[in-house]
Amino acid sequence: MNYVFHFNVVLDHLPELLEGAWLTIRLSAMAMVLGLALAVVTAYARMTGPAPVVWLVAGYVELIRNTPFLVQIFIIYFSLPALGIRLEANEAALAAMTVNLGAYATEILRAGIEALPRGQIEAAKALGLPRLAIFRYVILFPALKTVFPALASQFILLMLGSSVVSAISAVELTAVTNSLQSTTFRAFEFYFFATGLYLAMALGFRFALGVIYWAAFQRRAWN
Amino acid sequence: MTMKKLRLRLVALAVLAAVAAMLTPHSASAESTLDKILREKKLRVAIDVANPPFGVLGKDGQPDGSDVAVARQLAKDLGAEIEFVQVPSTGRIPALLAGRADVTIASISVTADRAKAVMFCNPNGALSITIFAPQAVAIKTPADLVGKRVGITRATLEEATVPKMAPAGTNIVWFDDLASTTQALLSGQVDAAAMTGFAEKAVADANPDKHIENKLLVTTAFYGPIVRHDEFELRQWINTWLFLNTQNGFLAATYKKYTGLDLPPLPVF
Repeated sequence: MNYVFHFNVVLDHLPELLEGAWLTIRLSAMAMVLGLALAVVTAYARMTGPAPVVWLVAGYVELIRNTPFLVQIFIIYFSLPALGIRLEANEAALAAMTVNLGAYATEILRAGIEALPRGQIEAAKALGLPRLAIFRYVILFPALKTVFPALASQFILLMLGSSVVSAISAVELTAVTNSLQSTTFRAFEFYFFATGLYLAMALGFRFALGVIYWAAFQRRAWN
Repeated sequence: MTMKKLRLRLVALAVLAAVAAMLTPHSASAESTLDKILREKKLRVAIDVANPPFGVLGKDGQPDGSDVAVARQLAKDLGAEIEFVQVPSTGRIPALLAGRADVTIASISVTADRAKAVMFCNPNGALSITIFAPQAVAIKTPADLVGKRVGITRATLEEATVPKMAPAGTNIVWFDDLASTTQALLSGQVDAAAMTGFAEKAVADANPDKHIENKLLVTTAFYGPIVRHDEFELRQWINTWLFLNTQNGFLAATYKKYTGLDLPPLPVF
């Protein structure tokens, strides 16, 4: 093989690539916030809700964790219109990512909650703290601190997994890369560059999550 | 300088030259892809089996279609066993450039841009690109595309032609394969889709309840096998084969069998 690399082609299309990367970042960041919020709600529902709610949460978690992400995206984008729910590509992508992350984060949070010493919760009850306050300060916060590294990993996985939303025409980094390589035929160059961008974004998210961890759990001495 | 010293130097030079020759094989002595195919008796052909009627998976799960039939006969006449490398439409050129296939035979229309990356053999068929939509969608002229969502597939001729003919204000939506573009049209995520006339017919026939009709003709084009740049020997053998199989009627018969249409006269270049 004597392949001649033409990286100048990549530079010609830098604005489009960065725009795609920016959508990846936006979608991922929004899905992280919404997915975690969803997970907190489901974790609370699972702890305090009646049996049907507990089953519902368990069903949701198992359904999402045991089916392919791509199929979930296709269902939201291609199948929901038949039921009258029509989401644009970006909305469908965000919905799929949120629902997907929510399931995984629910499970991660459960592990953190189960790891809490029972006495801590009983002590809070004995002190007469309201139920929501117990969940917020005595359960959720220490549990989040324990599982934060696992959550951060899941967040990064979500960001990398977002590449498949190009399949439903969301114009994120992988979609832009695919379009450019298919019109310029410089597949190696564009995929190499996209790899570098994904790596940079993953490291960026890791750093940002590290800062969040420090600000939330270490700066203020909660325990 | 004594004779002995000179001889030593000459020997040292000769050794160096021999080592250098071993480390950097001359391009002239490198084996061409055609030689490799003939020696290994194996032809690796990149095909796209999601593109009826050129490439499909038959009921038995084996590749079928007009391009697949052409590839099989070509390998047979080459005396080589065929190995299919199944790629999506976006992978037809990258698979070839990456050396995963010796030739791509997947209805690749001849365009000047593609020829910058790969070398075209002579055409083995012709196709048209059309824009089609359900009956209720009002598209009569290109100007009617403004404000409409038109689904196209990456790495296809429609990707190269539709954005150029569509007026500003057309909302073009890209998908990775024909199946997704089709699904987007059927689920109403796009108002219209651009594909080959054959793909349009397949979509319309399979979904009679959608009342899909042809709206606009975008372009007509010829498609042919592609090989890597510098593979002149292989290209010349394929062109020779195309000439012979135009003369004996095989290409026309194959085209008719899979598309139901008569093969137009194929120009050569």
